[in-house]
Amino acid sequence: MALPGPIRSALVVGLIYIFLVGVSSLAAGIKIMGQDTQESLFSAASNPIAALCIGILGTVLVQSSSASTSIIVGLVASRALNVDEAVPMIMGANIGTTVTNTLVSLGHIRQSNEFRRAFAAATVHDFFNVLAVMILLPVELATGLISNTAEWISGQLVGSAGTEWKSPIKAWVKQPVSGLESIWDALGTSGNVQGVFMVISGLVIILVALAFITRNMRSLVADRVERSVNAMLSRGGGTVALLLGLLITVAVQSSSITTSILIPLAGAGVIALRNAYPVTLGANVGTTITALLASLAASSPEALTVALAHTTFNVIGIFILYIIPIARNVPIRGAERLADIAVERRSMAVAYVAVVFIVLPLIGVAVLG
Amino acid sequence: MVLAFFKGSSGDGDFEHIVTRSISMLADARHSFDLATLTLLTDADPASVAEDIRKTDERINEAEQDLRSELVVHVSVRGNADIGSVLGFTLLLKKIERIGDQAKNILELAEAGIQLAHSPEADDLLAERQVISALFAEASELLGNSDVGDDALSDYATRVEAIMAEHQAKMDGFMTSERPGKEVVPLAIYYRYLRRTVANLLGVVRSSSETFPHADYLDDGTVDTDD
Repeated sequence: MALPGPIRSALVVGLIYIFLVGVSSLAAGIKIMGQDTQESLFSAASNPIAALCIGILGTVLVQSSSASTSIIVGLVASRALNVDEAVPMIMGANIGTTVTNTLVSLGHIRQSNEFRRAFAAATVHDFFNVLAVMILLPVELATGLISNTAEWISGQLVGSAGTEWKSPIKAWVKQPVSGLESIWDALGTSGNVQGVFMVISGLVIILVALAFITRNMRSLVADRVERSVNAMLSRGGGTVALLLGLLITVAVQSSSITTSILIPLAGAGVIALRNAYPVTLGANVGTTITALLASLAASSPEALTVALAHTTFNVIGIFILYIIPIARNVPIRGAERLADIAVERRSMAVAYVAVVFIVLPLIGVAVLG
Repeated sequence: MVLAFFKGSSGDGDFEHIVTRSISMLADARHSFDLATLTLLTDADPASVAEDIRKTDERINEAEQDLRSELVVHVSVRGNADIGSVLGFTLLLKKIERIGDQAKNILELAEAGIQLAHSPEADDLLAERQVISALFAEASELLGNSDVGDDALSDYATRVEAIMAEHQAKMDGFMTSERPGKEVVPLAIYYRYLRRTVANLLGVVRSSSETFPHADYLDDGTVDTDD
């Protein structure tokens, strides 16, 4: 539907409010469930590898790291998860979100050269995220680098963990969340059952609101996105590409949208893998804005810490795997090699998606969860 | 460059920018055509215009690549809502690019030592050149006018088709001519280039105004105007 820009902008503001209501409802639902239920539900997340796998699977399921990380933030806000459990999940969400553009690249499977370029452009994002996790998860477990950094920033912004900060957003969304609780009350639910319904309501609200925010924002900024991609293609360097990837993703609230725009361009040979790579890195950082936004719906410094951990993880990953020249080529070469293999045996491309995004995470949760 | 993102909306979605640059490409193509034909039809030294024509051709090719890339970006960002226009413009750009190539081909005839200035057809050829050069200007006008009526398009098409039929008849005549090969072969080749040039001009006008599947063919579906 062709809505005038100002009306669409107002609609987006309303949708963001609904999204925040969703996050708050999710947290409220978890709180209603009580300590015992929470512990039994989220016990799997105490193992960091299992938490990582849950992050991957959850994100593959909802096809959006913005949605999955917002849900994680909601869970931390309700204290069902702690920061240490949530950080590996956030890392998993980073990996899981790349499935969308990898699936988009499979659309080029019939044309060898086009598929090679498209699949490499999609999987360079996978390689970056997997390598970043392989490097930073052990470092995080050994030193708490990411969570400590995020906690420090959070402390500077809203105070230390265990305290409560007065988020104005939390106050704004309080009434509709109470209204939702009243509805479930009126329908005769209570205790865990009511908690489950509140959680389901929260999840539905988050997913639907995010989907509509993304759709409307894409329409609102399509002109700007098109113009800036053209500017980048004609004169852009790596830093420009990275910043544009970040800006576009912040604007459309979805890294999948940004990276999926790149795949047809890479397939058509309009953008080279080396130039597409920094755009995906910018998208990785840009997508963390949604979790930061979600943390505003909670009055918990821990929720903000987890959202900031998502940003910190991606920024440190860029420093390690992009700023250092020798490391920069690793994801690119890996993606090129994988694309060569995929072109030789197309079934390997499908197997790769199934194994990396579904089978391995399922095994991880089953064995370690 | 990152600031490009923050610049005010141009209200795109239409293809004004592509049309403007296409018109500029067409002006370049006309410039090359005028120079190349004049060189072949007069005693001018081909070396004096060769660099200009080749540089102009490179400029046309670069513009075509830039604009084609912009069209791919458009589809990637906005989806397939404008796919008909995008395909039409892709075809249009290719046709202008081919016109540039045909001007270069005419220059190459002159560079190969062909001189038509003293052939019996010299006056006709010069007159023909003026008519075709004017068709470039008309094509630009039709391309730039979004409200162009069917009558104007149909009138242009009728005249171009008549010229193409005339060129074909001349080529057929040269094939069976009793005149020496060194006289008629260059003329036949030259008319071939002229015919493709006007066919592509008609293609430019049609690509900008007709739905994609019809742009390559004349109304009876028998004559391919693409090259």
